[in-house]
Amino acid sequence: MTRASTWRRFRREPLGMGALIVLALLVFTAVAAPLLADYPSGYGDTVLTPPSGAHWFGTDSLGLDVYAEVVWGAQQSLLVAAAASLIAILFGTFLAVVGAYFRRLDALVSVIVDLTLSLPILPLMILVAALVGPSTMTIILVIAAFSWPEVTRVVRSQALAVVRLPYVDAARLMTSSPVWIITRHVVPAVMPLILVSVVLTASRAVLSAAGLAFLGLGDPNTWSWGRILYEAQQAGAMSTAWWLPLFPSLAIFLLVLAATLISTAYNDARNPRRSKA
Amino acid sequence: MPRPRLVAALAATVTIALLPACAPSAPGAAGGGKQVTDPTLTIATTTDVVNYNPLIGNSRSDYWITNLMYPHLLSIGPDGEKAPELARKWGYVDDTTGYYEIQPGMKWSDGQPLTAKDVAFTLNAVKRDAPAGTFYGQLTNFASATAVSDTRVEVTLTQPDSSLIPEIGFWGNVVPQHVFEPAGSVAKFANDGTTAGTTAEWVSAGPYVLKTVQRGQSYTLERVADYPLVEGGKPKAAEIVYRVFPDVNTEILALKNGDVDVIANTLPPAQVKGLRGTAGITVEEVPGLGYSHMTYNMNQPDLAKLQVRQALAQTVDYDAVRRVVLQGQAVSTGSSPLMPVLKDFYDKTSKEYSYDPEAARELLTEAGYQADGSGSFPLSFRLIYSLQDPVTTQWATLVKDGAAKAGVAIELQGLERNTYLAKTDAGDFDIYAGNFAIMDDPATNMALTYLPDGAINYSYVDDPELTSLIQRARVTFEREDQVPILREAAKKVRDEVYDNVMYTQNLYVAHRSEWSGFTVKPSELLSIVNPISLASATKAE
Amino acid sequence: MSLFLFVLRRFGRGLLTIWFAVTVTFLMLRLLPGDPALAIASPNMTPEIRAGLLTQYGLDEPLPVQYVKYLGQLLRGNLGVSFSQGVDVTDALMAQLPWTLLLVGAALVVTVILGIPLGVLAAAKAGGVLDRVVQIVAVTGQSLFVPSVGILLLYVFGLQLGWFPIGGAYTDGTYGGEWYLSVVAHLVLPCLSLVLVQLGAYVLTVRSTLIEALGEDYVTLARANGLPHRRVLWKHALRNALLPTTTLIGLQICLYLVGGVILIETVYAYPGIGRGIYDAVVRLDFPVLQGAFLLLAVVVVVVNMITDIVYGLLDPRVKAS
Repeated sequence: MTRASTWRRFRREPLGMGALIVLALLVFTAVAAPLLADYPSGYGDTVLTPPSGAHWFGTDSLGLDVYAEVVWGAQQSLLVAAAASLIAILFGTFLAVVGAYFRRLDALVSVIVDLTLSLPILPLMILVAALVGPSTMTIILVIAAFSWPEVTRVVRSQALAVVRLPYVDAARLMTSSPVWIITRHVVPAVMPLILVSVVLTASRAVLSAAGLAFLGLGDPNTWSWGRILYEAQQAGAMSTAWWLPLFPSLAIFLLVLAATLISTAYNDARNPRRSKA
Repeated sequence: MPRPRLVAALAATVTIALLPACAPSAPGAAGGGKQVTDPTLTIATTTDVVNYNPLIGNSRSDYWITNLMYPHLLSIGPDGEKAPELARKWGYVDDTTGYYEIQPGMKWSDGQPLTAKDVAFTLNAVKRDAPAGTFYGQLTNFASATAVSDTRVEVTLTQPDSSLIPEIGFWGNVVPQHVFEPAGSVAKFANDGTTAGTTAEWVSAGPYVLKTVQRGQSYTLERVADYPLVEGGKPKAAEIVYRVFPDVNTEILALKNGDVDVIANTLPPAQVKGLRGTAGITVEEVPGLGYSHMTYNMNQPDLAKLQVRQALAQTVDYDAVRRVVLQGQAVSTGSSPLMPVLKDFYDKTSKEYSYDPEAARELLTEAGYQADGSGSFPLSFRLIYSLQDPVTTQWATLVKDGAAKAGVAIELQGLERNTYLAKTDAGDFDIYAGNFAIMDDPATNMALTYLPDGAINYSYVDDPELTSLIQRARVTFEREDQVPILREAAKKVRDEVYDNVMYTQNLYVAHRSEWSGFTVKPSELLSIVNPISLASATKAE
Repeated sequence: MSLFLFVLRRFGRGLLTIWFAVTVTFLMLRLLPGDPALAIASPNMTPEIRAGLLTQYGLDEPLPVQYVKYLGQLLRGNLGVSFSQGVDVTDALMAQLPWTLLLVGAALVVTVILGIPLGVLAAAKAGGVLDRVVQIVAVTGQSLFVPSVGILLLYVFGLQLGWFPIGGAYTDGTYGGEWYLSVVAHLVLPCLSLVLVQLGAYVLTVRSTLIEALGEDYVTLARANGLPHRRVLWKHALRNALLPTTTLIGLQICLYLVGGVILIETVYAYPGIGRGIYDAVVRLDFPVLQGAFLLLAVVVVVVNMITDIVYGLLDPRVKAS
């Protein structure tokens, strides 16, 4: 199973490629936000107007351009998702790999992971966010704190398999430094899984962040997709100004859909047996 | 192994066939003349009832529902003047004695008569037990109350106060002595109906009495057959159901669908136009009785300077706030704390602060502040507001932007309500943004807002001239003498920027068009859900 | 392993999970920045009540003592006093619990009824067009933002078509049979919203488990023995694939649903625990937030335990002892 053959198979899958393009577009929007729209601030004179030539996505309850809000919101939403998933993945992978390598730690790690995965985390995220107060850092840390067990669970099973492989045993004979073995052998072997995890965790993070923002626990000083939805809800506009909830919901939808399709296609490309009966 | 697909399909078909039959039928359009007898009025509200003791009010729903059971002595008219409700006459015998003459023949729903004794009991008990709430706050100069007859209560004051009688008459509910007294302290009495036995039961003077409570879902009230205060003596709607909808979006859908007849909470400004244009829905305008404002904490050294306050007052685009955030539904008071709706007191000559960031800059430079290279002054203020108030939340950002144009930094701190109230009480802010919903009596209101020990003096102003003006107004019993004193006080407040009164908001409530006969009273607490209004509302066929 | 031991182990594990939830909540409040007293006693409370609560939870005492006191309160069923409602959190939540259970239960049932056939269909025709369609639809559902879906459904089916009532758990003023019918009518849209959003995950799991099962040796053996494809699919592969997914029902779906329930109950004005959480967030009513989390954790654990035990009963490997 080489990287090249995986990529070849991936490229043949139209869903996966399409999703990759969509994801790239969203990332581009986030990065190029300053070039695409002016930062929405202050107020506008036409309040809650439907999409038109002047305002492609319509205006919100303060007369601001919704297109600009979605574009700048992409920056914040993707930033939060990326940061949260990065932390979750670094921490989660670290624990998974360490646990797989050091048998004694493994029991503890797997117990904590199982227990955390048995808990309804959204209420817990809400409790923490409410306690600490809404800010970008809080949201990132809260989401990361409850996303890492899923990563650990997925990576751990693969890491355990890798650790038992003969070449790792051979490596153990050559050097007594666990760090070297872990970074040189175990981590690269679980890398594909980590990649998939990145994408999936990030997309789930977007949904969690939007949910928290909708409840009023998001950062009130920056534009995010969740904040557009929150403002729509507060203004009583969700059913009367359809463009206001539509575009941010669409953006979230596209991001999560693309992410999931990419990871499914990638998994199928890596392991063709799994996709056919 | 059963055939899951077949079973599922069967179940789905049956369910889908049944369900439309369960759906409620939409009410008929407003037709000509004929009225539905004994209809049920369904009212939507966004908050649950937190407590049933009207002397310790909490959420809006608390007020709306307890007001239907425990009468006020006085009400208020569209001109802002106090109007009779339970009390038909009221006033002063001399400087330190007041009186109320109440409607004879009133009864509680359990048959007990409602007499002046209940009124006296209520007033004395509140003074004695000090329940947390506005009612107790009104009783500073109250000494005691006595029922001198079945219909007359006389009130003794500790010192002359021309506002006490109308104010406590307007604010306080009268509760049944025979229910509240055995419970001990009225400050602690839950009044959740459980004292009457196994099923919850309330005693009400009408027009409605609470019968069933399903927390989070609905509160059902039944008509009290004999309610002398409404025309005809009998409330038209047989039943009132308050339904809880936490999300205003769902409320609006439910109103359009006919699932509810009235939305009690005021509409977000941006929804008013749309609902007005919707067939089957009527939007009523409710005059605002309070104002939205910002106060500058004069304990903060920079804000203690008049020029700084004046400068800040000129960085707010008042017109934009009213036009965009309030959608034109707000009215300027001329930056004066006297409301336009109070026709006798309102001062037309009061001019609103102008929006002029350049002039603000000049003022700040005059005051001795130097702007740096980028035009920023070394001034930064923390502004607190309540996140539960979406309108203030929106204009707070406009305030910040305006101040930035003049080189002043404002840090916005949106807070949850309890934290907001706590910080406000502790003076933990530089600028306070909020609103007072009911400022019906200028003398009392100014005493609370501008006297050094006033309970809501959020600017921490202590101006001896202003204090003496207000104190004089409070002991002036003739309206025509009182008005010029209050106007002078208001002018001082405006000129010294002790309070930046930004606007008074006209509120809008919506109801289905087949219902009519609502009596609109000022303020959200009364609007169209006040007792007389609900008792008079009728439904067309 | 005997059935008894199996049940005992599951029970023990359930208790461990609950203990973990409790400890996490406890540590969270004490270790996060801010005054833990603020999370237990509202600034609105009178000084005597505050002092009473602080002693009850031992906030001025060392951490281990606090922990013991905290556990003690929980064992007595005391989840604290709600800031905004002034009632015991336990009472408030217990009144809301039945509605959430009804909603989540109904969504669970519908998910399974719809999910199994869809998953089987996709697995049977794996790699084909139908499979792709099912996959896309499944993934689409997972990517939806719940409140937007809720409002949309209310708007289309409640307002425009008028098929369903808007808001609440039942129609006030109805009794007996009519009341039950109104409960169902009010249940449809919120249940549908929940199902839409999480059906995808279930379908995909059934599909992938079944695909793996179909690749198993015993299936190949059954085929080689000449059993018709259909029979192989339904009798053998499905039964084996269903067992792990039964466990999956208990846990994954429950968790997902609990998350979605908060937003759904708010939009649909459904008087369940999710609503309670939303109200508590708006008012920063920490005792309710804590209590709701713990209660939901217990519910999830209990459901998980029950399904695990059912799994144990069905699994021949466990039965044989």
